[in-house]
Amino acid sequence: MDRRREDRQGGGCEPKRSDAPALCFEQVTFGYTRVPVLREVSLQVRGGEFVALVGPNGAGKTTMMRLGLGLLHASHGTVRLFGERVEDFEDWWRVGYVPQRAGSGAVLPVSVEEVVRTGLTGHLGLFRRPRPHHRERMEHVLDLMGVAGLRRQPINELSGGQQQRALIARALVTDPSLLVLDEPTTGVDADARHVLREALEHLVDVERVSVIYISHDPEGFEGLADRVLEVRAGHVTDLTRPQREETSEERLWRR
Amino acid sequence: MEALSYEFMQRSIIATTLVCAVAPLVGAFVVQRRQALIGDGVGHVAFAGVGLAFVTGTNPFVGALLLTLLAAYALFRMERRGRLGGDLALAMIFYGGIALGYLFTQRAGGGLNSVVGFLFGSPNNLTWGQVWAIAALCLGVLVVIVALYGPLVSIAFDEPAARVSGVPTDGLQLILTVVVALIVVGGMYALGILLVAGMMVIPVAASSQLSRSYRGTMLGGSLVGVGCALTGAIGAFYADVPTGSAIVLLAVGCYLAAAVLRAARQRYAVGSSRRAATV
Repeated sequence: MDRRREDRQGGGCEPKRSDAPALCFEQVTFGYTRVPVLREVSLQVRGGEFVALVGPNGAGKTTMMRLGLGLLHASHGTVRLFGERVEDFEDWWRVGYVPQRAGSGAVLPVSVEEVVRTGLTGHLGLFRRPRPHHRERMEHVLDLMGVAGLRRQPINELSGGQQQRALIARALVTDPSLLVLDEPTTGVDADARHVLREALEHLVDVERVSVIYISHDPEGFEGLADRVLEVRAGHVTDLTRPQREETSEERLWRR
Repeated sequence: MEALSYEFMQRSIIATTLVCAVAPLVGAFVVQRRQALIGDGVGHVAFAGVGLAFVTGTNPFVGALLLTLLAAYALFRMERRGRLGGDLALAMIFYGGIALGYLFTQRAGGGLNSVVGFLFGSPNNLTWGQVWAIAALCLGVLVVIVALYGPLVSIAFDEPAARVSGVPTDGLQLILTVVVALIVVGGMYALGILLVAGMMVIPVAASSQLSRSYRGTMLGGSLVGVGCALTGAIGAFYADVPTGSAIVLLAVGCYLAAAVLRAARQRYAVGSSRRAATV
């Protein structure tokens, strides 16, 4: 299937469809000043898809994701999450977000366990405490990301790779369908990148989470990404060559 | 103990201990949000409130509370616009506040002693009514912190991620700034407008040297605060020094001791791992 052609059509974003894309941009334009950073961008990220977003620094990758997550509002066009306009979207537990270098900014010691628990806050509401099934989920994501043994360590004393895995565990604690990672390999050494990559492979293959991976470093997503989109000069281009759909067996073999 | 036999000392100890127990709990959130000086800024505005109360003949407690709550809302609006920190408008509010406060107090014929009392605290002159008002404010702040502990940790640690996960970050920011205003007003008589902000931050900085979790840092900060308040208030009585200064200097001493202890612990840990590697 030629995915580039499908993106240009921009269909399938209608609300209330059960198979609505995880994220959909319809002719979105945005600028911090009068000069647009993004011009009439359309794209879709479907369920279970791994999409890498690349481009030079300052091209608008993070801006695009901040629009997708409702942290910024489009000047023109519509952004939808799971078919709902992002302004009306309420099921935020379905989205996990790992901002760039979030863990290293901690001034005071915050243990890995405490960091992961903060991921539940939006889902629980202001006054509810975590229940046993929430605690089970916490244990699951700590194990999944290989940070269970570090639960009592302060996150700002961990290596870059360990911090990223703890933050991904936090993003996964509500069992989301879409995970957005902003420059997850910044400040992460080669060994830790390998561990991070294995964890992401597991997420896509076993947990069936859609992933949007923002990076200027292709090493982190090569062989993992279904599509690579480049943000440049306000436009988004699909760099992935048209190819036939791989069977699940071929996909597994490739990895 | 002789100090405890005086009623003015009992009032002083109760008020300073309550403020120093609760202030670090609030301080942990503002330090993590890199707003360590917000308490100091709100204190400047509280001084304007005190001055306004002198001019209008109302209770300084009420004047300070009204103006600091207004300042809290103004700060919240500025922060929402992403202009907090290094913003000139913020500096205008703070320095304008202290200038206005001094102008008002002079205009109302307030003596230098009363001004110094509000700036640096006069816990030995507290009435029981003031002690109960301080206790009520501290209790209110404690209830808010305990009830909203999880959501406040999430916005203190990573606000963008908290916002995306559906946490009402705007409302929580406003609540946190209001709570800062309440603790500054609560500590105004006991520690003074300029020193109470120090007890929000320094005990937290001290306990963070030795703690490995956020909860531990908060509770440790509160314990350091209580220890400094009890020791400082009683020590100041015998040494005949100002109570607020004694408490804050003790907290600075705790920070230095904790920093030395941390460095020693790290050196020991490095030494142990080297010895293990050699063996």
